[in-house]
Amino acid sequence: MIISIAKRELYDNMMSLRFALAVLLMLIAMVANAVVFLGEYNEQISNYRRSIAQEHKEMELHAENFPTLVLYGPGELHKMPSPLSFCANGGEAFLSKNTDGRPLERWWGDYPARFNGIWRMTYPQSNPNLWNFLPESTQMDWAFLIGVVLSFAAILFTFDAISGERARGTLRLTLANSVPRHVVLGGKFLGALMSIGLPFLMSVLVNLFLLYSSGSLRLDTTDWVRLGAIVLVGFVYTAIFITLGLLISSRARQSSSSLMVLTLIWVVWVILVPNTVGLAAKGLKPAMTSDEFRQRREALYQQVTQKYLDRGLLDSYFDPREIPPAKITLLWGEYHLEESLNDERFLEEHLRAQLDQVAVARSLARLSPTAAVQYAIESLAGTGFSRHLQFLSQVKVYVPEFREFLADIDRADPESPHALFFRPAMSWEPVPFETIPKFEDRYSFDDSLNDATVDTLLLMLVFVVLSAALFLSFLRVDI
Amino acid sequence: MFLTLFRRELLANLMTLRFFVVVVTCLILVITSTIVLLQDYKHRLAVYDTAVKTHREDIADAMTYSKLRLYVDRPPNPLSIFNQGLDKRLGNTVHVHHQFVPTLLDALQHGVDNPFLNLFSGMDLVFIFQVVLSLMALLFAYDAIAGEREAHTLRLMATNPVPRSLILLAKYASAMVCLTLSLIISVLLALFLIMTSGLIAFSGEDFLRIFGILLVSVIYLSTFYLIGLLISTVSRRTATALVFVMFAWVMLVLVYPSLTVATLDRLIGVEEKLKTAVSEIEQFWDRYDADERASVKKNAVRAYSYPTRIGHGDHLKYSGGYNGQTLLHHRYWWTYSYDSIDENKEQEVANLQSHSQLLESSRLRAAEKTWLVRKRALDQTYGRKAQVVQMAIRLSPPAIYDLATEALAGTDLRGIERFAESSRQYRRALIEYLHEKNAFSSRQWFSHDKGRVSWDDLPQFSYLQADLGSDMIDVVPDLILLLAINLAISMSVFLTFRRQAL
Repeated sequence: MIISIAKRELYDNMMSLRFALAVLLMLIAMVANAVVFLGEYNEQISNYRRSIAQEHKEMELHAENFPTLVLYGPGELHKMPSPLSFCANGGEAFLSKNTDGRPLERWWGDYPARFNGIWRMTYPQSNPNLWNFLPESTQMDWAFLIGVVLSFAAILFTFDAISGERARGTLRLTLANSVPRHVVLGGKFLGALMSIGLPFLMSVLVNLFLLYSSGSLRLDTTDWVRLGAIVLVGFVYTAIFITLGLLISSRARQSSSSLMVLTLIWVVWVILVPNTVGLAAKGLKPAMTSDEFRQRREALYQQVTQKYLDRGLLDSYFDPREIPPAKITLLWGEYHLEESLNDERFLEEHLRAQLDQVAVARSLARLSPTAAVQYAIESLAGTGFSRHLQFLSQVKVYVPEFREFLADIDRADPESPHALFFRPAMSWEPVPFETIPKFEDRYSFDDSLNDATVDTLLLMLVFVVLSAALFLSFLRVDI
Repeated sequence: MFLTLFRRELLANLMTLRFFVVVVTCLILVITSTIVLLQDYKHRLAVYDTAVKTHREDIADAMTYSKLRLYVDRPPNPLSIFNQGLDKRLGNTVHVHHQFVPTLLDALQHGVDNPFLNLFSGMDLVFIFQVVLSLMALLFAYDAIAGEREAHTLRLMATNPVPRSLILLAKYASAMVCLTLSLIISVLLALFLIMTSGLIAFSGEDFLRIFGILLVSVIYLSTFYLIGLLISTVSRRTATALVFVMFAWVMLVLVYPSLTVATLDRLIGVEEKLKTAVSEIEQFWDRYDADERASVKKNAVRAYSYPTRIGHGDHLKYSGGYNGQTLLHHRYWWTYSYDSIDENKEQEVANLQSHSQLLESSRLRAAEKTWLVRKRALDQTYGRKAQVVQMAIRLSPPAIYDLATEALAGTDLRGIERFAESSRQYRRALIEYLHEKNAFSSRQWFSHDKGRVSWDDLPQFSYLQADLGSDMIDVVPDLILLLAINLAISMSVFLTFRRQAL
């Protein structure tokens, strides 16, 4: 029974003008997507490989002399681009592509060169806004298609589904048959879902075909699974708006007022909420100001340096190569280790505070299912904020590993005075490039799925709540 | 007759649920976003004040001419609450130096505490009107004709001796009154919140600008109402009209502008032009390098890369050389600040004086020449791209509305470009000042052993004030375009409705 009602709804919808327009809208969005992202991934991946090759070349040069390697450390660590960035761009431009292990250069400062710090991991930031003169715009990715176009189509297909039939009197007619109300509801729901799902799948396929046939896309099995998951999440999200549409439609006396209410909810939920919360979050959890950050970083350096100066860093002449090392040699080693670790910790804390602020903003934005679906798609596509967090956590694992490797090399050299990380008092042997641990960014499907779970569950929760409301409301409503 | 019709339509509109809903939603949105935007403005103002203070202290810190670090800042625009445009996005601090001619692209941003928050795009009052009120205008319009036709009241009305044009006019006038009413209430409420916050004191000119924004908003809403009316006239049934209206809205407001920006941004490449400009600029600096080598030989200043240490003190503070293709940066400079000059090096002082005179002048020339190439290249790449995109998105009324209000608020590219122009003017004043003081060839260029530089008569930076007249002229084409669209649509509505069987 439910199937035949769904079929009727589907046929009705498919013959209608709105179906044609929905197809048109989705096709436009997806063809534009293919144009915008054509060749983008090839460009990104070749840039990524080039940067990595460059970094390795530099590291190889540094490795010829161990103290140089200690000075420059691992260099830039790069984030691997995702082939699925056309699904959700995720504001990649605002998330830096790399972290940077670099020495603290203070050679213009008040101290002699010996105070120059060894490498520490820094987090360069990316703000392409500074040279973007173009008007504000949204990315034409799948997240836009799903978040905005599908939800809008859902409203268009459902606003008069019940109120319209009530007005025409056909609802009463249907219910005069021995059909339970929830079956009618289920049929209408399925019908609407199919009439949106069909053009959605079609436009997605057109998009994939365009990208594939132009040679700008090569996907492996996991990527296909990811795509499948994204489409599924898209369906859950569409289901939310279909349910909402049916709910309002069942309560409204007139189709026009049902549409009115629905569009308002839609504008607020889909357009306004995801856009406003960023500003609001700024006030909720203020991060350190950029001036404060600079001052505190400088103060930290001064403090550590002063501490070691007090302990006699500049006291006497000494030979750093002497074994066993002089007390002052060891002091220099301790100084460099503590200075770089302190600075690194400070930078990381600052980054953490900034990321936390974004996390708060994102939680707030989840008031809107559009934000939730956007985040879920980003996670599944391997782009955006949660992917950036994954990258950073891998960097966090790699950094001590690299430092430990440096220490090991030094320990293995009998001619070194072993004053970690005072460069004149460390091993001077070249390091074979192959033995150096290299950073390789990876992201697995499991991680992506984990990240997407919260948002997907949230979407399902909203769906279940709305369905329950719809069911109850429709059971008690007068026909 | 018209009055009767008008009254009927007005009452019909005012008494409906939709009018109530429009006003309430609009008010709620305006209140929340004004509060958030005010907070944001307050923060930006505080950041600006700190920046100005720090930069003033930087000047006082410089003991020699070469160590002067001069930065100028752009204050946040209070009208950015209405349309924030590029005000928040582009840089607001420019380094002013005789060896470098700054453009807007060289501006940095002070006080970006958390650049990750750029992930969230902001919202302003114009955005609310653009999205919510346009939708409301369409929802008022879609059943204006089609609805009455379905209810057969249109035929009834036409049996009276009423010209059809009058029916249309009455409908249009009454809907516009309702829409304008909700618009004015919203703007007044926002103004009330802004004024009572005590943060912003608008000048008379600002009020004119706000009035201009209001006016453009009314014309914008009229455009959308007319689009709705046209669809309503053409459609046989309300349901069809509704679907068309919604489709038009999504296309015009959401899809078309973003689609155009994204596609054109991708299609218009800038790499090639930048590359040729870079090589051209490098030639200038190669010539400068040759000059420098000659000067070093002539003056027997020993080291090539920088003069040998001739005294004590904070000898070399910064020497910058940077060359990037994205923005065509190329500059380098040295700064010195000797506390004392060694007695046996005294004869080198004169050498160093004529050396720096020569170098700084040749660098200045190279910088001016670079500027010509650079300006042309940047205009042809980033500037041209922005122009093409702006032209293309003007096919959609919401984009015209956005651009026009942006220009009125002074937050458009041209308004902010004024800041770069001011900083270039200031640079010229600085160079004049340095010439006047013979700074390049003075001992105080590199040493303060005979007394530090007093910066008392350093020219002050003044931000070129926005000129309401020229901004207005800037808006006129957009206004004309909007009005033309209005006229064209109303003509078509009128003609279709006249010839239609009721």
